[in-house]
Amino acid sequence: MQPYELSLAAAADAIRARRLSPVELVDSVLDRIEKAEPHLGAYVTVAAEQARRAASEAEHEAAQGRYRGPLHGIPMGLKDLIDVSGMATTASSRVRAGHRATADSTVAARLSAAGAILLGKTHTHACAFGLTTPQTRNAWDHGRVAGGSSGGSAVAVASGTATFALGTDTGGSIRVPAALNGVVGLKPTYGLVPRHGVTSLSRSLDHVGPVTRTVEDAALVLTALAGHDPRDPASLSVPAADYRPVAGTDLTGLRIGLPRTYYFDNVHAQVGTAVRHAIGQLEALGAQLVEVDIPMTRYIQATQWGLMVPEAGAYHEGSLRTVPELYQEDVRILLEASELMSAGDYLRAQRSRTLMRAEWARMLEEVDVIAAPTVPMPAVGADEETVTWPDGTVEGVSDAYVRLSSPANITGVPALTVPVGHDAAGMPIGMQLLGRPLGEPTLLRVGHAYEQTQPARALATAA
Amino acid sequence: MSAVELTPPEAARWAARAGLVLPAERHAAVAAVANHIHSVVAVLRELDFADVPPAAAYRAGEEKHDAAV
Repeated sequence: MQPYELSLAAAADAIRARRLSPVELVDSVLDRIEKAEPHLGAYVTVAAEQARRAASEAEHEAAQGRYRGPLHGIPMGLKDLIDVSGMATTASSRVRAGHRATADSTVAARLSAAGAILLGKTHTHACAFGLTTPQTRNAWDHGRVAGGSSGGSAVAVASGTATFALGTDTGGSIRVPAALNGVVGLKPTYGLVPRHGVTSLSRSLDHVGPVTRTVEDAALVLTALAGHDPRDPASLSVPAADYRPVAGTDLTGLRIGLPRTYYFDNVHAQVGTAVRHAIGQLEALGAQLVEVDIPMTRYIQATQWGLMVPEAGAYHEGSLRTVPELYQEDVRILLEASELMSAGDYLRAQRSRTLMRAEWARMLEEVDVIAAPTVPMPAVGADEETVTWPDGTVEGVSDAYVRLSSPANITGVPALTVPVGHDAAGMPIGMQLLGRPLGEPTLLRVGHAYEQTQPARALATAA
Repeated sequence: MSAVELTPPEAARWAARAGLVLPAERHAAVAAVANHIHSVVAVLRELDFADVPPAAAYRAGEEKHDAAV
């Protein structure tokens, strides 16, 4: 096994035991980038020399006995919405031409302090306003979509060109590409991870979180990221915590909600089968399955759009007037149309969110976790725009990809996607675990228990 | 087109009221997208909100201290 193939936890153990040096690990991943990146398009920028210098410093620290923790010397990618001092934050859009961040975002600063090494900035669907990331190719099949908007981060982690990465998630933008590329993605509780220095799509829906190869890895990254920052007005005052899950697989006493409605409607048959099989594994580990009815399903898309579209329009108001021609067309027209929504539309969405949060809180009194598909279908071909369901319903690809993930953005509950298999074409399938606000330890425990029952996953093979 | 849908000239006029001048060749496409968004969010009018407040968070007297990294 080459160093670039190691999970974060395995690489951390090897670095701590001095069996692997940060220089060896970073060199291995940079070599992998050189070979695979031309086929993938996951990165906007690779900062190879900077990464090698940082690896050398990390190795020097380790040699002197200064070990910063499990992220010490671990190479990672940051979605290019996340500010790193001295580097451009392009948002994968020409609107940001000439941009240069003057300070680190909170998450970049925290990862740096924890010893992680920046490899480069990963592609996003332009301005994070889309679900496909067309610049980037799926790690398992280059003719299929990467998913988005954190497509570059998911493809990099899946293909071995980053040991972990950060993404952002406004309607599913961590979980969708993670599921489509067979990696783990965590959208934390709203406010748990500060967004200071992260380009916004929609302030009341935006989250930052890890994309990793395993659930344990996601927990290690979350431990470094979580914690209050007053510069993000939504940031929660919660004490620092170690999120690494316990090793055991016993889920006795845990109640897992199996949705009777919504999450299994208009879902690809092989996705439904794989996710139900994985839920069966959780039951075999001792969990009790409890059927639940998802509340207010008729209003999910309306609430998501009623919040996201005006908030995105507000964020881009200035540049839409000064440099509209620099926006990608699919983003520009949504921003223009956002200007025609009323304050009443937005306030109804905020009031609907109040009702939905209360209903979800009631549902989550009955169960500890809800288990469901992450997305209704695996990665589609890059030129496909719609999907037709057996009942004749025609749905836009982006609408379908966001459908099962947006409830967690509206309500702020944490949501974790875990790979649970592949379809007949070999494309990955993800199971989504949703929990109570600040219920990350439970989600990570369940996801980790499931992973321990499965063989270790290999890297994507298409690159 | 239903009576409540914006025509392309109306979309242009509404945008102009918001301070956004749309090139003529974009009027029809922007009207179509705006009408689609309206059709999606209009379903929220069915809800009886009574005294339900908007979820937007606001707390007076927010504490101020240095950020921890």
